[in-house]
Amino acid sequence: MRKWFARLATLGVALLVAGQGTTAALAQDPAAGKKTVRVGATQSMDSMNPFLAVRLVSTSIHRWMYGYLTVPDSKTLQPSPDLAESWTTSEDGLTWTFKIRAAKWSDGKPVTAEDAAWTFNKMMTDEAAKTANGPAVENFESVTASGQDLTIKLKAPQASMLENPVPIMPKHVWESVTDMANYDAEKYPTVSSGPYIAVEHKKDQHVKLQANPNYWRGKPKIDELQVVFYDNPQAAIAGLKNGDIDLIGRLQPPEFEAIQNDPNIEAWNTQGRRAAYLQINHGATTTDDKPVGDGHPALKDLKVRQALHYAIDKQKLVTEVQNGLAKPADGSIVPPMYKDFFWEATGDTKVTYDPAKANKILDDAGYKKGSDGVRTMPDGSRKLEFRFTIHTDTPIEDKLAEYLTGFFKEIGITLTTVKLDSSKFSEETGVTGNFDIAISGWSVNPDPEEVMATHLCSRRPAPGGEGGGTESFFCDETFEKLYQEQLKELDRPKRAEILKQMQERLYTQAPIIAIYYPNDLEGYRKDRITSITPIPEDKGLLYGGSSYWPFYTVDAKATAASGGASGGGSNTGLIAGIAGGVVAVGLVVFLATRRRKSTADERE
Amino acid sequence: MTAPLEAAEPAVQAAGPGDERPTRRGTLQYALSKAGGALFSIAMVIVGTFFVFRLLPGDPVRNLAQGRNMTPAQLDLERRRLGLDQPMIDQFFDFVGKTLRLDLGISYEYKRPVLDLIGERLGPTLLLAGTGLVIAVSLGIWQGTRAGWRHGSRFDRFSTGASLVLWSVPTFWLGLLLMMVFGVGIGPIPGLFPFRGIESVDAPDGFAYILDVASHMVLPCLTLVAVVYAQYLLVMRSSLLEEVSQDYVTVARAKGLRDDEVRRRHAVPNALLPTVTLVFMRIGFVVGGAVTVETIYTWPGLGQLFYEAVRVPDFTLMQGTFLLITVAVVVMNTLADVVYHMLDPRVRSA
Repeated sequence: MRKWFARLATLGVALLVAGQGTTAALAQDPAAGKKTVRVGATQSMDSMNPFLAVRLVSTSIHRWMYGYLTVPDSKTLQPSPDLAESWTTSEDGLTWTFKIRAAKWSDGKPVTAEDAAWTFNKMMTDEAAKTANGPAVENFESVTASGQDLTIKLKAPQASMLENPVPIMPKHVWESVTDMANYDAEKYPTVSSGPYIAVEHKKDQHVKLQANPNYWRGKPKIDELQVVFYDNPQAAIAGLKNGDIDLIGRLQPPEFEAIQNDPNIEAWNTQGRRAAYLQINHGATTTDDKPVGDGHPALKDLKVRQALHYAIDKQKLVTEVQNGLAKPADGSIVPPMYKDFFWEATGDTKVTYDPAKANKILDDAGYKKGSDGVRTMPDGSRKLEFRFTIHTDTPIEDKLAEYLTGFFKEIGITLTTVKLDSSKFSEETGVTGNFDIAISGWSVNPDPEEVMATHLCSRRPAPGGEGGGTESFFCDETFEKLYQEQLKELDRPKRAEILKQMQERLYTQAPIIAIYYPNDLEGYRKDRITSITPIPEDKGLLYGGSSYWPFYTVDAKATAASGGASGGGSNTGLIAGIAGGVVAVGLVVFLATRRRKSTADERE
Repeated sequence: MTAPLEAAEPAVQAAGPGDERPTRRGTLQYALSKAGGALFSIAMVIVGTFFVFRLLPGDPVRNLAQGRNMTPAQLDLERRRLGLDQPMIDQFFDFVGKTLRLDLGISYEYKRPVLDLIGERLGPTLLLAGTGLVIAVSLGIWQGTRAGWRHGSRFDRFSTGASLVLWSVPTFWLGLLLMMVFGVGIGPIPGLFPFRGIESVDAPDGFAYILDVASHMVLPCLTLVAVVYAQYLLVMRSSLLEEVSQDYVTVARAKGLRDDEVRRRHAVPNALLPTVTLVFMRIGFVVGGAVTVETIYTWPGLGQLFYEAVRVPDFTLMQGTFLLITVAVVVMNTLADVVYHMLDPRVRSA
């Protein structure tokens, strides 16, 4: 028995020694002397296969790995050369010829127009390959290659042609893939043409990317870029404070405030690419113009929608709901960071907070207030009681609902909140039309065509109840005509004018009411990242920009070979080792004394 | 040194009729009938799973699109690929047949076989939840025994109170709190333990790797144990309280055995029975992982997988994980019944 305890005690001591030994081992970080940047993400990758991946984190990582025909310029956000170094357009705008740059894949093979042609043709012929970016090739008639020249023939003119979101894949690696729908692309290192090569993916844990020495712009300044997944934002914030990660983007105001006063963290607060708006059920219809849903009839009246707009104090929403970390929307769905396309309401069109005016509009239109202060329809049939549909588990939307309820009460309109989980929410507000007012938002790309398209007649649900991706059930002749015009307009300033007219139409017709543009909130460790360039370079975004640029330009301190620089990490190891050893020894001592006491008792 | 004292099975000996053969046959019969019941339950679970998951709101194909614009052709293709275009009854028989062949289908979200995904996650989950269960059971039984034996003592009041407080605390809140205190560190205390995942991003090799994983396990395990050990403590405490007043305990004391001895060799083995049942039932839930704890600490286990599946929602993945969890619980409950039957002759004779 005593021997047994002696053995246990030895084990404890051995553990302690081993623990210290391994702390020494841990201190010899495998990344010693390398420049590594760790980016936190609160979403894990759904697929490494760019033809299938739809999650934001996956498309961001693929933007760091692959080249595109064109990418937004880091200063102006206008389409600029990437793998296509130049391009020409035919007179009718239907034939585009791209000259592919003499770049190299990371395995040393040359990038040719064949690669691009294979990528697009694969998507045009294999339905499974359309999963991620199908609509991008919908308008393609044919794609052919000859040497470094890529020729794309379109079915109809498309001015946003240079915003193509499809990564060009290496034909020599990918042409052997037969079952695209089930191909997970977990082969490392990947063959890439962008700044980074993926070398490791531990599912739902992390992705490791290494600098691509063959990148045509030159090798990135850092050696390794890691994306570390967290299941919940609080843990990710704690990870940033702890130094486990160096950068995290897409923060909500409360998370942002948690890092604001940390001396080691640069709190990044710039204008964002997102617009938050209210979607108003102004008479939802299907593509055959048959009404659907149970929207309140009063909302069909433009005057009521305008009155609602006048009743919203956007500045107050920004200050109190978004904690000041947003900009009140004086325009429509394109946020002001896109200077070329942003339309701002001025003069008579501008709707400023004015409850008196809102009340007057409703009074004049015959919506009389009852004894309970709630207005009724002019024919007295229904009270102006609207539902406000929001998502479950989103505290910010709850708060927004409270404020809107207060604003609308001022003008004799009752608002009750309906909370739905995200799948039910998208069904009711996008397909069945069972709502009055709903919260919505959109992250806008450098080219606003896609966000505009979400308000087209054709996006309404089909008669069979199939959703088409509408954001408003809007179907307006003027809007449709302008949309078609901008498709054909290849002159950028002229096209921007048309797109602005479309935003004005949305603003005045109010199928949606933009309330604010949330800021881009991020944070990074100043003690680790020495420089990083946002996109656009003037007060732009980092991770939130979904661009390769900040992560191509990022520079960081090298991890010192002694392990001293990684600070927290090795300390933690040491302390954990000691603590573990102490616990083990303590346990042994405790058990031993207890035993000794009891054996002594038994001997009596 | 002390040799083991006489076998301490007073209750068994008191009730045992002496003839073992019919009892053994009885046990087998009993086990078979329980297994039959379990098979029926599992069949019902398979049927139930199919229909429950089709009652969920939202069109899976549309959810899969996650707000992207998909052409009607694409939507149709997806629907065909997922077999959602077939009549419900065909889908049902297809589902049952495949489930019996252990083909749980392809995940909508990850585009990989559900069985592979589950296989990858099973290890981490068993490691975390299994360790947590062992610690919680040991701690619960130890404290429960002490508390029950010295009923009303300061130790009793303190340990029962503390465990009940922890039992009532929301797991998510406790997890975040532990993360802040022991992960990030407060004031002069540095962060002691990692709080994300099962290993460091640049994980070392060999023995250091084991330590790395162990240090990653500390906080999730602590959270898991803190929240659940109260149930073992309370069951142990109350069943020991019942035994304390039994005659055989008085006899043991009268024989002049030390208090410690009476407790350890006479009272505890009898009081353990309800705890054993509880433990077996809990083993079933181990497979399901600890959804909340795994989500707080980004532990790559089944709980996290199930959470992801619900979030999308990913029907096939939900079905697969749900099936696995329920089958595990049914099997373990059956085992608990059988083990209890073997351990406690009173059940046998009844």
